[in-house]
Amino acid sequence: MTAYSLDDSSVFVVIGSGAGGGVLSRELASRGHKVVCLEAGPRLTLGDIVNDETEMFNKLTWLDPRMATGKPDPKFPVWGCKTVGGTTMHWTGACPRFEPHEMRARSTYGDMPDTTLVDWPVSPEDMAPWYDKAEMRMGVTGTHGNPHLPPGNNYKVLEAGARKCGYTDMDTHNMAINSVARDGRPHCRQLGFCTSGCALGAKWSTLYTEIPAAEETGNFELRPGCMVTALKVGEDGRIASVTYLHEGQSVTQKARAVSIAGNVVETTRLLLNNRSERHPNGLANSSGLVGRNYMRHFTIQVMGVMPGKVHFYRQTHLAGVVRDERAHRPERGFAGGFLISTVPFTPEVLAKNMLVGGWGRDLTRVLDKYEYLAGMLLTGEDPPQYSNAITLHPEARDANGLPVPVIHYEDHPNTIAMKEYAWKAGRRIYEAMGAEEIVEMGDYIPATHNMGTARMGDDPRASVCTPYGRTHDVANLFVSDGSLFPTAGGCNPTLTIVALAMRQAEHIDGELRAGRL
Amino acid sequence: MAGADTLAGLGRRQVLGGIALGALLPALGGLSAPLHAAELDAQGPGERETSAALLRQMFPHGALTPAFYDEMAGRYLEELAARPDALAEHRRGLALLDASYIAPFAQLPAVIQRALVGRVDQEPFFTAYLMRGAELVYRDARVWDRLGYEGSSVEYGGYLDRGFDDIDWLPGAGEMQ
Repeated sequence: MTAYSLDDSSVFVVIGSGAGGGVLSRELASRGHKVVCLEAGPRLTLGDIVNDETEMFNKLTWLDPRMATGKPDPKFPVWGCKTVGGTTMHWTGACPRFEPHEMRARSTYGDMPDTTLVDWPVSPEDMAPWYDKAEMRMGVTGTHGNPHLPPGNNYKVLEAGARKCGYTDMDTHNMAINSVARDGRPHCRQLGFCTSGCALGAKWSTLYTEIPAAEETGNFELRPGCMVTALKVGEDGRIASVTYLHEGQSVTQKARAVSIAGNVVETTRLLLNNRSERHPNGLANSSGLVGRNYMRHFTIQVMGVMPGKVHFYRQTHLAGVVRDERAHRPERGFAGGFLISTVPFTPEVLAKNMLVGGWGRDLTRVLDKYEYLAGMLLTGEDPPQYSNAITLHPEARDANGLPVPVIHYEDHPNTIAMKEYAWKAGRRIYEAMGAEEIVEMGDYIPATHNMGTARMGDDPRASVCTPYGRTHDVANLFVSDGSLFPTAGGCNPTLTIVALAMRQAEHIDGELRAGRL
Repeated sequence: MAGADTLAGLGRRQVLGGIALGALLPALGGLSAPLHAAELDAQGPGERETSAALLRQMFPHGALTPAFYDEMAGRYLEELAARPDALAEHRRGLALLDASYIAPFAQLPAVIQRALVGRVDQEPFFTAYLMRGAELVYRDARVWDRLGYEGSSVEYGGYLDRGFDDIDWLPGAGEMQ
């Protein structure tokens, strides 16, 4: 295994080993650059992954305290991971691309009061080849010759109902889950535990794809269990070193350049918590926008008690999608759109969340029909709002002595209107299939799609990062996660995070070779 | 943990949203005086019966026996034994149920029990019991069997050949891309 000295100031330090950090690490290492990846969580093996949601929740989840005001759960507002692989351990594997109209949100949707809506500084045409590369890397089904996954029961109910409602654009979705053995990993066997880590490794997670591939280059060192606390700015205004906690000890690694990919909460905390004379409001925050414009897609559910058995837990969580409502059709009463996909629930999750705080026969009447349940997830675009922000609590500190992040989020009226419409659309689908009872469930899932808190743009006063994800204020500091997104689009963010990281890696490679980094 | 006091002092929703697993249970109490050890050892009269009857009202399944609810209630009380404040809070809640009618809660007809529970279902003791009770009841393999949830599948090679696509009642479904 490669190991670099703490005094080696030629290493590129990547903070975080998930979709952004894992991919960036591999891309840079494979181009011959020395990379040290610091990951706060432990390195699990496939053998550590079991089909038990409770056990895996405790193994994978970022459980350090966080607070929230506004809409989110005050104790658990964000569902991220603290483990090698990051949130690619927990994700469902869905890989839709941003639609061109979503990347031109401001031009398409026009003026939307109380938003900071913008167009992406990267055009859909520029993104297309990077999307191709990301899909090929991840083996996304339904793209580049990778067959779709087979349709299972929960999807078949959704599909049949959607067709009755006049929808036409649907299939088992573009998934980073092997439908055939490839890349040294087996095909999906429909375990039904996607969000608890894939015990077979059929789902793409950087833990067993990008990280080992980076190690094979000989230019990469992963350091798990390392919680970054500080970035030190040198006399020349560049980041000179990264300080982290490892087994209770503070360790400092010199660096040539640094990328932060800690998922929005940790990326924001690291930037805001590193104040200095040169950066009085936090690193790379001359715009005042670090932590601002926090976006999280709404994720609401509709469940139907169907006339026949479905066994919706017997397959991938996201087993298929209906895309017809994704388009921008303002006549529906809102801008942007949403996706309709499948979702299963365990009995425990239903008992806790189906009728938030509910009890008695209203609850168990549906639970007794567990085998007959079909479930869908509705996920829609969330416009950026300056007031939705991640800040640091002035007094509260966690076990590492770091300020506790406070997440503030409220739904925009556009989101509320879209949700109301989406619930009705979902209800119609199951009604068309003769559901005996329909349950609408709200936004109880803590945010898993987190975006926007270090938005990229051309104007240093109106964005935190350049269109390549380099911070405007610090020449050798990059951001490589969903924080970069100027707008959220109406789809899952991971594919776009991966595509942006690949694009960023090529840019960084050029800068390194030109001696500018 | 330096932030704990601040965290516990945050305003709480009446309802715990989110997938609040063990690590995220609400910290209860903080207001009541700690109990003496002797008091902890002596279970109040009918405490377990009342807890079992309440659990059955929360999660009534015809297929589950009174003995099952009793077992789960016993486990909950065991857990509370290590948390004096929470136990005191739970006992205060049970007293509301037991003291408000002509007979102990556990002996009342179900319809009366339901009405009584409706009066306390916003109390912190109830919310805590509801969340933890959901875990105790719905993580139990016997309950999975009754409901038809099959759980872990990796040891059987997943559901690929075990019914993931066996639906047979759909009219004209399954036209694939």
